[in-house]
Amino acid sequence: MRTWAFLLGGLVIWAVHFFTLYIMASVFLTPPLARTLTMLITLACLGAIAFLAFKARRIEIETATDSWVRAVALLGMGVGGVAIVWQALPALLV
Amino acid sequence: MKSETGFDPALYARFPTPGERPEGELEELERIWCAPRGWQLLTAVNNNYIGFFYVAAAFLFFLLAGILALVMRVQLALPLQGVLPQDTYNQFFTMHGTVMMFLFAVPMVEAIGVLLLPQMLAARDLPFPRLSAYAFWAYFVGGLCFFTSLFFGLAPDGGWFMYPPYTSITYSPGINADFWLLGIGFIEISAIAGAIEIVVGVLRTRAPGMTLDKMPIYAWAMLVFGVMIIIAFPSVILGTLLLELERAFNWPFFDPTRGGDALLWQHLFWFFGHPEVYIIFLPASGLVSMMVATMTRTPLVGHYLIVLAFLATGFISFGVWAHHMFTTGMPNLSIGFFSAASMAVSVPAGIQVFSWIATFAVGKPRYNVPTLFLLGGIVTFVIGGLTGVMVAMVPFDWQAHDSYFIVAHLHHVLIGGMVFPMFAAFYYWTPMTSSRALSEQLGKWAFWLMFTGMQVTFWPMHLVGLMGMPRRVYTYLPGREWEVINMISTVGAFTLAAGVLAFLIDVARNFRFTTDSDAGNVYGGGTLEWLPTGLYSTRSIPVVKSREPLWDDPKLAEDVEAGRYFLPGSATGLRETIITSPLRAEPQYLQIMPGPSAWPFLGAVFTAGFFILLTVQAYIPSFACGILAVICVLRWLWDTDRLVKEPDVDVGAGIRLPTYVTGPDSHGWWAMMILLIVVGMIFVMGVFSFFYLYGVQPRFWVAPADLWSLAMVLPAYGAASGLAWLARYMLAREATELWTPGVLFLCGAIALATGIGADLWSWIASGLRPDASGQGATVYALLGLEAMLAAIGLLMAGYISARNSRGMIVRPHNNSLDLCVLWVIYTAGQGALTAVLTRAVGG
Ligand code: HEM
Repeated sequence: MRTWAFLLGGLVIWAVHFFTLYIMASVFLTPPLARTLTMLITLACLGAIAFLAFKARRIEIETATDSWVRAVALLGMGVGGVAIVWQALPALLV
Repeated sequence: MKSETGFDPALYARFPTPGERPEGELEELERIWCAPRGWQLLTAVNNNYIGFFYVAAAFLFFLLAGILALVMRVQLALPLQGVLPQDTYNQFFTMHGTVMMFLFAVPMVEAIGVLLLPQMLAARDLPFPRLSAYAFWAYFVGGLCFFTSLFFGLAPDGGWFMYPPYTSITYSPGINADFWLLGIGFIEISAIAGAIEIVVGVLRTRAPGMTLDKMPIYAWAMLVFGVMIIIAFPSVILGTLLLELERAFNWPFFDPTRGGDALLWQHLFWFFGHPEVYIIFLPASGLVSMMVATMTRTPLVGHYLIVLAFLATGFISFGVWAHHMFTTGMPNLSIGFFSAASMAVSVPAGIQVFSWIATFAVGKPRYNVPTLFLLGGIVTFVIGGLTGVMVAMVPFDWQAHDSYFIVAHLHHVLIGGMVFPMFAAFYYWTPMTSSRALSEQLGKWAFWLMFTGMQVTFWPMHLVGLMGMPRRVYTYLPGREWEVINMISTVGAFTLAAGVLAFLIDVARNFRFTTDSDAGNVYGGGTLEWLPTGLYSTRSIPVVKSREPLWDDPKLAEDVEAGRYFLPGSATGLRETIITSPLRAEPQYLQIMPGPSAWPFLGAVFTAGFFILLTVQAYIPSFACGILAVICVLRWLWDTDRLVKEPDVDVGAGIRLPTYVTGPDSHGWWAMMILLIVVGMIFVMGVFSFFYLYGVQPRFWVAPADLWSLAMVLPAYGAASGLAWLARYMLAREATELWTPGVLFLCGAIALATGIGADLWSWIASGLRPDASGQGATVYALLGLEAMLAAIGLLMAGYISARNSRGMIVRPHNNSLDLCVLWVIYTAGQGALTAVLTRAVGG
């Protein structure tokens, strides 16, 4: 379970971020409140990713599989982070 | 070394074992896995057969839908043609789109999975062979019946996404729409069955040592594919169910005059529909990645990037559904979010394409037929991808929406992303199931005709779309400068068809189905499906040490064939395969597999009968079929979950594995968990519908049922889960009478029924009716779902009692009981949530 959580962590947080934004935009439509909330949620999610990445870097590596899992997990977190920032941009621009 | 299960990986060093294998061992394996003959083919469950039937059937549907496309192109070749009257044209494009998407594309990728995966993972078979057989027959019989509706003028005509209100009873009073709703809803169930098989197969039946990083890229693609089906398809199943309820019983889910909303359908449909595109593309991309490596004779560049791209696609594709709804007036911010996600989702696809190009650049490509199809596919897919990014820009989409530009875009993506890779795969993997390879010469004809035809058909459609030609029109007026372009498209379509014909001729001349004397590894692939195989798959199951074992260990094939690895014969005299752990593929136990049986076939025929007869409103025969289907399924399950006399056996080199395990280690537990996720997703989408309708139409909402009624409902559900859990607990107690767990389970199921009964009763007492408003409709739909689950719980109680009476619920733990307990506990939880959530909002 731990391994899967690391492997998919970045992307899961992206999904949480996306659906929270969706629900929020559906409930509040597009006022400043929605924009502020978007920023807060985004920061929280980025923080979560940073925490996960910090943890993932400290997993001990014994086999090739371990280092492979770590590489994919860290990249996934990177991709998740960029996607989260990207996802939040409309709140600033629209 | 690190271990996941306590298995010592150092034991792998015992393989390959020295010395000769005992005489008669191979013969026994052949006897156990013997081929079916004549009518027995209907009872076959082996993946070599089912996979092959499945691929052939899906291809048949491709041909049928292709013929429909040709007729449409003839109709559109010139303005004011009279080949197809308007009504029929509507049925044609609906059937073409629906059959291509639901009866060809998804089943085809699933079929190729069923055929290839066991060989690639070196499993004897996927873990639920009878489920595969059931899924195939249900799909085939149901699909054929669905297609014939066209000959009676009863085919659906609302487009492949069937938007209400056009498809509601007011505007589509005939049974055409019902054919779609029941037919497709039911075929999705078979797709889910296949996905469960594939997910559990990839995670649990890999060859020992095939850790996540050594798993073939295709297996990764299929894993993500399976999970995506499990998350996405419940949404369309729910959607079809709701629309059918509205049509049959007047429950106004989609009727805005009574608190429904037509856009709800679009949300439900596209939450499935867009991931569907990736569900089709990912497996094809997995195939491409495998073939590119072989054809360039070099390992895939950026293997782990592609894995990441698959995973990212799996996630992000669930955030783009509403880009099909940019023109419906959503809040600006939502539009922004969906537009951003739609652009983002093209990044993983880009990673894959770059990795393929890099592999071509690094390796030494051979320009044979599979390579041509691969390159043709990549080029076509990239074009479609680029127009995809164009329509992800909202202002552009406002212009291009519902025009031929979209038709051009979607065909580029689908044909480039899935159809060309499929033909590449046909050429590449035919030597695995045929005694002769397909012809290079004819293949090149097929490719160039198809490729040219494809571009000539669909390039001009971008233009005619931008010139204003809407999609889904049966004809157009002369003088708009659309004539020449349309004529070119039609010529292109026939060129493409000529390419498909060349392929068919090739197949007729060269394809000879075989399970044991195949043409072999003509292209020099490095993965396990190219080991010599029989119906039992490989003679022995190798230890995997790298991603391309056949390239790295030239003696592997010989050793495997000589039985020098795991499971060189049958350890118990039955069909069996090794179940390994999900991360590191360490051997865990020996699964005893069910053999051929007529029950999955009969079950599938009756299930199809149930749905089709229901559509034509023959209720009594339909329900009779339904009951027969349930009996067949129970009868097939009856043979499963049995102990063999040896509690553990030698699986080679003195390594002993148990023959029966329970709990989270067992493959049955995984399947049940996945099934519960499917049911859970249906529930989640139901809850979404409930809150969505409340959000858009709150003025139709009245006070919910009495809160006091919860005092009866919740304890009943609590009792249900408690009793079910107690049943399992008591089974392990020495002093317990054998019938106790069965009775406890029965009481649990009765408590479930009491819970849902009480909830229903309180809603009826509240005076709200399902046909009164969107609120009534969604509340009763959720209650109906719960009632269905509870009814299955009662059925399980009967089944458990029957097995108990035959002494088949063995101690201290038993899978049948465990899985039924899981079901009851889940159902109780969902019931409690239903009761609370439905009372959470109201007028
Ligand atoms: C073999 C060559 C093909 C040709 C010549 C072709 C042609 C067409 C035509 C003429 C339409 C109707 C356009 C309209 O009236 O709006 C159409 C629609 C469609 N096609 Fe194809 N098609 C082909 C292959 C495919 C494939 C392989 C797929 C999917 C895997 C596919 C999926 C669809 C879908 C989803 C629609 C939309 C149906 C709707 O509007 O409801 N087609 N195609």
